[in-house]
Amino acid sequence: MIEHASVDRRTFIQGVAASAAVMAAPGVLAAGRRAEALRVGVIGCGGRGTGAAFNALEAAEATKGAVRIVALGDLFPERVEGARKGLAEKGEMGTVSEKNCFTGFDAYKGVIATDCDVVILATPPGFRPSHFKAAVDAGKHVFMEKPVAVDAPGVRMVLAAAADAERRKLSVVAGTQRRHEQCYLEAMERIHRGDLGKVVGARCFWNQQGLWDVEPRADRSDMENQVRNWLYHAWLSGDHVVEQHVHNIDVVNWAFQAVPERCVATGGRQSRTQTKYGHIYDHFACDFTYPGNRFALSMARQQEGTDGRVQEFIHGSDGMAELSSGSALITGAKAWKFAGKQRNPYVQEHIDLQSSIRGGSYLNEGKRIAESTLCAIMIRMAAYRGKEITWEQAMNDTEDLMPKALQFGPNPQAPVAIPGQGA
Amino acid sequence: MRITLLASMALACSLVWSGLVSNPAALADEAAANSAASSTAAPESRREPIAGTTLEIELVKVAGSADGSVKPLWVARTETLWDWQDICIYKRDQKDGVSGNAAADACTRPTKPYTAADRGFGHSGFPAVSISFSSAKAFCEWLSAKTGRRYRLPTVAERKHLCARSGITAESMKDHAWTFENAKDATRKAGSLKPDASGLFDLCGNVREWCVAADGTGVLMGGGFEDPAASIACDTALADSEDWNASDPQFPKSIWWLADGPWAGFRIVCDE
Repeated sequence: MIEHASVDRRTFIQGVAASAAVMAAPGVLAAGRRAEALRVGVIGCGGRGTGAAFNALEAAEATKGAVRIVALGDLFPERVEGARKGLAEKGEMGTVSEKNCFTGFDAYKGVIATDCDVVILATPPGFRPSHFKAAVDAGKHVFMEKPVAVDAPGVRMVLAAAADAERRKLSVVAGTQRRHEQCYLEAMERIHRGDLGKVVGARCFWNQQGLWDVEPRADRSDMENQVRNWLYHAWLSGDHVVEQHVHNIDVVNWAFQAVPERCVATGGRQSRTQTKYGHIYDHFACDFTYPGNRFALSMARQQEGTDGRVQEFIHGSDGMAELSSGSALITGAKAWKFAGKQRNPYVQEHIDLQSSIRGGSYLNEGKRIAESTLCAIMIRMAAYRGKEITWEQAMNDTEDLMPKALQFGPNPQAPVAIPGQGA
Repeated sequence: MRITLLASMALACSLVWSGLVSNPAALADEAAANSAASSTAAPESRREPIAGTTLEIELVKVAGSADGSVKPLWVARTETLWDWQDICIYKRDQKDGVSGNAAADACTRPTKPYTAADRGFGHSGFPAVSISFSSAKAFCEWLSAKTGRRYRLPTVAERKHLCARSGITAESMKDHAWTFENAKDATRKAGSLKPDASGLFDLCGNVREWCVAADGTGVLMGGGFEDPAASIACDTALADSEDWNASDPQFPKSIWWLADGPWAGFRIVCDE
């Protein structure tokens, strides 16, 4: 019954009158709702969540479709208020009523309980698995930022919910925008058709300087300090190797059309040692083994005063591809350079999601982004523990980083992992 | 590449190398300036130390215009380097939040970028890129507070004057400027080609440089590594554009970093 409801729902959005049966699908459609606009709820109203809401509206403008932002949720009231004020600049399509604004750890439940069709999940990644599951359970289409989990139990929850979404034909797009970026799409088409010969290896990097921080305050609880300064706590961000480098590993998986079998990794915390930087590392390096004895070097660094590099190199028997945001180059037997125009990929990913929801080519990126997220988590596991980690070990790992209770109060910070000591 | 000529500036180019302005009379008008600029005497220079660091900024003195409309000016020999910019952004001149210069510590500094703003082109010794007009101005204000001398961005008139007396011609561009033809899609180490007649490096290439238009808005002048040499002219000024930060995924978008401006940098000048 649910599957039928989903199919009917798409035709409903295309402007065909809904049957009474459709109304029975909980959370998807409300009686008497406007058929012409996709209704979007935002969970996580920081810079990226609010930015994604704007991108959803820009996607609708670019395709002459209709989208409205109808609900906002965030742990912190000032974040909701900031997003609400900012989005109101877009007029009616960005105007959210006060009753549809939710705060606190359960804000996501409030957003999901509204009559929105789509939710944008953009809280710190640690919350993502439970939010994604709740959204799919309620029959919502989903745009979710990367990474989608910080530990293996979270990855498994996302995989289960993604399979559920597939059964119900709910559309899911992840914020790995390179998958929607024209230069990457054209390069991958060439790589997959053999322009590099046999793909034998890869190197990928997210090396940059330091990121923002929110200095912990004595008048705030551990929990509040950690969530406000979420980059530096693995239960929230997964460590920087998960939070950022997942993009580059996702590209390597895409090129190889596979996930790795195992990895060895090293890392540490050298230049960013102050208390405000929590317990995460500031550098990682990893060697992945892919099926067929193919290898990928992966490196992630956040150290001030160092050379930046955010890029992927795909090595084939007859050439090499050099990929980064906005540019793609192949050298070798079939040399090529991307010279086309491309739309902002942060808008394109919403165009593709909205098209899928309206009955175009069906998209469910849930499984793929869960797997890429697990690859990044593998690096952290291997580096923190000083042990080789296989794909099966990672997938079945039981370490659960989530605090037992989500409430403002004490939450002792995790220690800095020392390889060879501890788990 | 979109080239916007500021209407008010679209006068005959003072020095011709681009082919965009090919009036031989214009060349003749500049003959005197050229001969002065190409004298073999080493330019007068000074070094500005950045307190709290071991770095210095080298400046050369450039003569004013013959008609007196542009005054003599100290000009940084290179475009602003990441090495200098990092001190400002990451507060590398401070220990425990203070540098010993309260005025400098009170300056608003650009936020840390959310990705690799150097785009992998190179960092130490390379010109800073992805820099917004606000960011370039903030750097000048911070440096002024640190040094007690007024550092600023050049005006459009000053930038045209520097260009006019550079002595660079269409034929010699390749010896002085990193452009589309020789840069291979990335910035190059500052000062790795020949200096111009005033002793300045990379004036016509590597990164486009922020200047201040008559109405106070920012314009980018000079060529960048993506610009064909033939498109680079003394009077070419690109008006600041939202397009240069369209793909910043955050709201509000950064006022300091240009997600789509890999060629946006700046050069500082000083009146004292």
